[in-house]
Amino acid sequence: MKKAIKWILWIILGIGLILIPKIFGIYYTNFFVSLAIMAVFSQSINIELGYTRILNFGHAMFFGMGGYGAAQALALIPGMPILGAVLCGMLGGGLLALVLSPLVVRVSGMACAMLHVAFNALFFMLAMKLRPLTGGEDGISGFPIPPFNIPGIISIDMTNPLNFYYFAVAVLGISMWLMWYFTKTPFGQIMIGIRDNPKRVNYLGFKVPESRALVYIVGGSFAGVSGSMYALFQNLFSSDATSGLNSFQPVLMTMVGGIGTFIGPIIGSAFFSVVEELARRYTERVELVMGLTLIIVILFAPMGFMGLYRDLKARWGKAPSLPKI
Amino acid sequence: MLLEVQNLNTYYVTSHVLQNVSLNVNEGEVVALLGRNGMGKSTTLKSIMGLVKPKSGTVTFQGKNVTGLPPFRVAKAGIAYVPEERRIFPQLSVMDNLEMGIKGGKQSTKEGIWTVERIFNHFPILKERAKQQGRYLSGGEQQMLTIGRALMGNPSLLLVDEPTEGLAPLMVREVRDILENINKDTGVSILLVEHNVKVAMSLANRIYLMGKAHIGFSGSKDELEANPEVRAKYLEV
Repeated sequence: MKKAIKWILWIILGIGLILIPKIFGIYYTNFFVSLAIMAVFSQSINIELGYTRILNFGHAMFFGMGGYGAAQALALIPGMPILGAVLCGMLGGGLLALVLSPLVVRVSGMACAMLHVAFNALFFMLAMKLRPLTGGEDGISGFPIPPFNIPGIISIDMTNPLNFYYFAVAVLGISMWLMWYFTKTPFGQIMIGIRDNPKRVNYLGFKVPESRALVYIVGGSFAGVSGSMYALFQNLFSSDATSGLNSFQPVLMTMVGGIGTFIGPIIGSAFFSVVEELARRYTERVELVMGLTLIIVILFAPMGFMGLYRDLKARWGKAPSLPKI
Repeated sequence: MLLEVQNLNTYYVTSHVLQNVSLNVNEGEVVALLGRNGMGKSTTLKSIMGLVKPKSGTVTFQGKNVTGLPPFRVAKAGIAYVPEERRIFPQLSVMDNLEMGIKGGKQSTKEGIWTVERIFNHFPILKERAKQQGRYLSGGEQQMLTIGRALMGNPSLLLVDEPTEGLAPLMVREVRDILENINKDTGVSILLVEHNVKVAMSLANRIYLMGKAHIGFSGSKDELEANPEVRAKYLEV
C-alpha cells in the first residue's frame, strides 16, 4: 500500500514537472530551473557537510570549476555536445576536489572550514586575474549552446527555454537521484558513521581519510554539474559565481531546509528562491529580508524545516525527532 | 600464542601511563585485566588497538607485528575492540550498526562465520529492535549491539572494555553469560577489562592485575584467591 502511494506521488511529481511550463509560463519555468540548479548545488554540500561533517565553506570553487569547464569546453572545442559540456563541468569539480582532498581530509572542524575559506578566496582571485582563461569579472559569455543531439534520431534546440527546461530537469533530476542513491549504499552508512565518530569507524576497519576523500570528490563533482548547468542556463559564467558569498548560500539553504536529511536542501533552496523572488517584487532591500527570514527560521527551527517537522511529528508520537548535528 | 604484548610503554604527552606492560593471550582463552581506576587498563587495550601509539614495546598478533599500526589495519588483522560506554552509531539502525562491523572486518572464508542471523540467535532482543536507531536502545541492548558489531568482523580476539559498566544487575548477568557463550561456542579469545571483579573472575582463565601503569600480578584465579595480600594491594580501595 505504502509502495503504491509512493509510486502515485512520483507519477504526480513527474506530471507536475512536465506541466510546469504550460501552467506557469516561461518566466516561472526559468525560475524553476535556477531553483533546481541551487537545489543540486545545496545537495552536493549536504552530502559533505550534513552526512559526513566535512566543513566545506568554499563550495563555490567546485561550482566555478563546473561553470568554467562547461563554458570553455563549448567555447574552445567545436562540435562539443551539450552533455559533453556538462561532463566537462563535472570532471572539473571532481578534479579540483581530487587535488585538494589529500590536504582537506586530514583536517577537521574549524581548521577545515578556514582552509576552505582561504582556498575559495584564492580561487576567486585567480578567477578575477586569469582573464584569458576565465574572462575575469566579465566572465565567459556567448559560447554556443549546442542542440541535444542523438545522431540520426533526434536533435533538440537548446536555445529554446522550454527545451532547456526539460533538459535541465532531466540532468538535475538524475544528479539528485545519483546523490540519493550514494547516501543509501553501504558507503552511506560509513559516511554517517564518520560524521558521528571517525575514530569508531577507524577501529571497525575502515580507512577514514580515503572515505572522506571519496565523499569530497563526489560532492565536488555534483557541484560541478550544477555549475555547468548554471553556465548553460545563463550562457555566461563570471567570477561572481565563485565568490565566498556563493559558497555560503548553499550552506544556508541546507541549514534552513534541514541539514543531514536528503529532502532538506531541496526545501531550503525552494524556500530561499521563493522568498528572494517575492522580496524582489516589493523592495530593493532583498538582503535585509533574506537576513531577517534566516534569523526567524534559525530561532524557531534550529534544525531547519525538516527538524521542525520531525519535532512536531515526535510530539504527536509518530516519529523520532531529528538528531542535533 | 595469539597475542603477545612485550614491554609496552605509552605516554599521554609527558605522563608515562604504561610502563613496560607485558601480557599474553592464548587461543580460546579469556584473560582479565583488572585494577583500580586510572591504572592504565583501558590505555593498554587502546595501545594494542592502535588508538594510542605506544612509544616502545611490541604487540604481536598471530605472529605478526601490529605495534602502532592504524586501528583499521589492526581490525583487519583480526582484533575487534568493544569500547567502554557502548559506543554505537546512534543514528544508524541496529541492522546498519551490525553491517558496519562486517564491512570493516576481516572477511573469513571459514565455516561458521558470524552473520546477522547468528548474532540475532545470540542476542534475540536485537532482532526485535533491528530497524530501530541505536540511540533508542537501553544501555544493556547497546552493549549487546557493540559486542555483536565487533563479532561481525569475525575476529580471533575481542578486546572488551568495561562491558558491564552502568548496567542493571540482571543485565550484567546477561552480558556476562553472552561473553561466556561466545568464548565457549566459537573459541574467540577475549581480553577483558572489567571493574566488576566477580564477573571477571567468573569468566577468566587467567588474570593480570595492574598497579600504577604496570602489571603487578599475573596468574590463575586460584593463585589470586590464594593471595589475599595481592588482591588487597591491587583491587581493594
